[in-house]
Amino acid sequence: MNLERLPNEEKLSLCRKYYLAGFAFLPFLWLVNVVWFFREAFFKPTYTEQLQIKAYVKRSALGLLLWVAVLTTWITIFQHFRAEWGEVGDYLSFTIPLGIP
Amino acid sequence: MCFFLSLSLAGVGCNSVEKKIYVHLNNTVPCVRLLNATHQIGCQSSLSGNVGVLHVLESEENLDWVLKTGPNPPYLVILESPLFTRPIMMKLKNGSSRVAGVAVVAPNANPPKGFSPHTTCPNENTGVYTEEYDPAFAHCNVTMWNPLGNGLSYEEYDFPIFSMKDDNDTQIIRQCYLDHNRAVNGSTPQYPLCAMQLYSHMSAVTDTATCMRRNDINFSISPEMVCDPLGDYNVWASTRPINNTAKGHKMFESVVIAAARLDSRSFFFDIAPGAESGVSGFVTLLAAAQALRNATQEAQPNRTILYTFFQGETFDYIGSSRMVYDMQSNQFAVDLDNVHSVLEIGQVCIVNSFSNLCVLLKTLTTASRGLNVSVEEPGFSQPLPPSSFQRFLRARPIPGVVIEDHQSAFTNRFYESMYDNAEYLNVSYPTNMTPEEQLEFVTETAKALTEVATMVARALYIQAGGAETQLSSINADPQTVTRMLYGFLVRTNNSWFQQLIPSDLASHLGKLGHTFLKISEPTLLVQYLLANLTGSTPNITQDNCQNQREDEEDKESKHVRPKALNTAPPNSTQREGYCVRSTVRLSKALSPAFDLRDYTSTNFSTWTESRWKSIKGRIFLVASHDLEADMLFSAGREPANATY
Repeated sequence: MNLERLPNEEKLSLCRKYYLAGFAFLPFLWLVNVVWFFREAFFKPTYTEQLQIKAYVKRSALGLLLWVAVLTTWITIFQHFRAEWGEVGDYLSFTIPLGIP
Repeated sequence: MCFFLSLSLAGVGCNSVEKKIYVHLNNTVPCVRLLNATHQIGCQSSLSGNVGVLHVLESEENLDWVLKTGPNPPYLVILESPLFTRPIMMKLKNGSSRVAGVAVVAPNANPPKGFSPHTTCPNENTGVYTEEYDPAFAHCNVTMWNPLGNGLSYEEYDFPIFSMKDDNDTQIIRQCYLDHNRAVNGSTPQYPLCAMQLYSHMSAVTDTATCMRRNDINFSISPEMVCDPLGDYNVWASTRPINNTAKGHKMFESVVIAAARLDSRSFFFDIAPGAESGVSGFVTLLAAAQALRNATQEAQPNRTILYTFFQGETFDYIGSSRMVYDMQSNQFAVDLDNVHSVLEIGQVCIVNSFSNLCVLLKTLTTASRGLNVSVEEPGFSQPLPPSSFQRFLRARPIPGVVIEDHQSAFTNRFYESMYDNAEYLNVSYPTNMTPEEQLEFVTETAKALTEVATMVARALYIQAGGAETQLSSINADPQTVTRMLYGFLVRTNNSWFQQLIPSDLASHLGKLGHTFLKISEPTLLVQYLLANLTGSTPNITQDNCQNQREDEEDKESKHVRPKALNTAPPNSTQREGYCVRSTVRLSKALSPAFDLRDYTSTNFSTWTESRWKSIKGRIFLVASHDLEADMLFSAGREPANATY
């Protein structure tokens, strides 16, 4: 969708929708928000709604970073320690590799 | 090149490129992974096969090339059988980052020195000599039963180990090594090098508890079985019919158990000739059962003789522990109070002259006329060897005898190895005999075993309370013994065996593996043999036979009646089948640990075997890694020194 042809109010409302929807455990929406509205928020000449769009983009970026940190930590721990957890590791796994612990 | 040809010349058959590159290996036998409560043993390859540059090992010093100095690791080592020893295998195991696999060339003749990949103290934790019962004899303190044992079968390797027969294919492999891989005069061998790829990826890992848990997970997308418990069936029969439907204690029934072991193993999968360790024992018992057929029917002794053939004894007494457990929990036709004594036939050897019995008894004495029963007490200086009788003793102090051919350590130099075969037992035939003639020829070994069988039969008869006057009429038949030895050690697909088993199975004789039936081939053969040798042939029609009744009016309950089988008479081109009535039954030989779901049990066997997808091997010429990268990134350029 081309943001150029949208009026500013609609841009703001779109940004807000993506921001709010991202709270439903959907960090990818925040990623989309940041990438899509980055130019709009920081590199366009000022207009009234830009301040709020900037705020939403910043908060989406923050939430995104938090999610990335949490997921990376969990994935690293799981991949490293799954074999040692024995039964718990097996019950948490969706597919268990064959032939290796 | 091939693709261009097929486009330009229509109608010309195109050879697959794969066939031009790879030579597939036939007749290879892998070593597989086995797991128990605490360990995993055996070999594992990667999922896409282990590739290694071939190296034919010349001596133990040559190992340095493989482990340290060779410039093209990983290597796949070809071992001739004299080099398949513990020191070399341990060094290869420790240097396994440079070792892609091992291929052992199985010789055509047995090695002169002994070789036993089993442990020195077989079944040391599940017999009767454990810390609880008798620590003085535990862990083979007093007698090391298998002194030649190097324990290779019970080590864990993370590369595949295959066995190849010494035939033309192996000669091709050696030639490929000499042509391409040999380092002459200190120069490094140049690419392309001869390489082999071995696939034997095993699905199970860690131990039995883990693999059984993973079997049971029904949450994942594609549930897969990763391992199977080792198990089969025991064969048992009685001289008098016993009601099998009413389990538990039988009043007024006193039973003498005559036991033998059916199974054995080797380092590699499904090769288990077990000539001296297994076959000699159960063939002797079968011959003794036949010798007793008439005596137990005409002049019945007081006690019933129960012939039992246990499966799975190699792996911590699977069969006998299951039977004892069934007896203790009233799941078997008799229980331990009914058991009067046990006579077990272990490894029975060969003799030079058949007049001289080479049979010595452990701990107890016997005369060839009768049997002195005494209880196994630590007063004697010699403990019992590994035997099924030990599992009965763990439950209850029952009097018994184990017949073996050794006084202290085993005399079997190839215990549980692939060399314990017909050649070791001296089962040999004059040259230029047809298979039929070989089947009927009575070898010296057969004569010796017949003597043993006669002695066992007479001893059993006395033990069961029979009169000593009848003893001279109890004689084993050497013809039967030699046919059985031929069938189990030389060729299973022979005319005699074919007559004994049902026609739908006879065509597959020799190839009845685990995948075809629920029970293994030896168990099946022993079941039908025992039925034929101890049963009678009633004169009833096939229809009645299959419905297990005497005639149309017979509505009597089948419970006490022995089972009837359907086999073919000899000398007939058309298999008609006849009926045999016998008391032979199968009883499940699965370790009680799996019924109790106690996978870390120390009392029962917990052995399982991993499953796998495909097992194969192939050889080909491999190019250097630089060349592979070259071909990938510059497809337009002609590949530089690739000659095939």
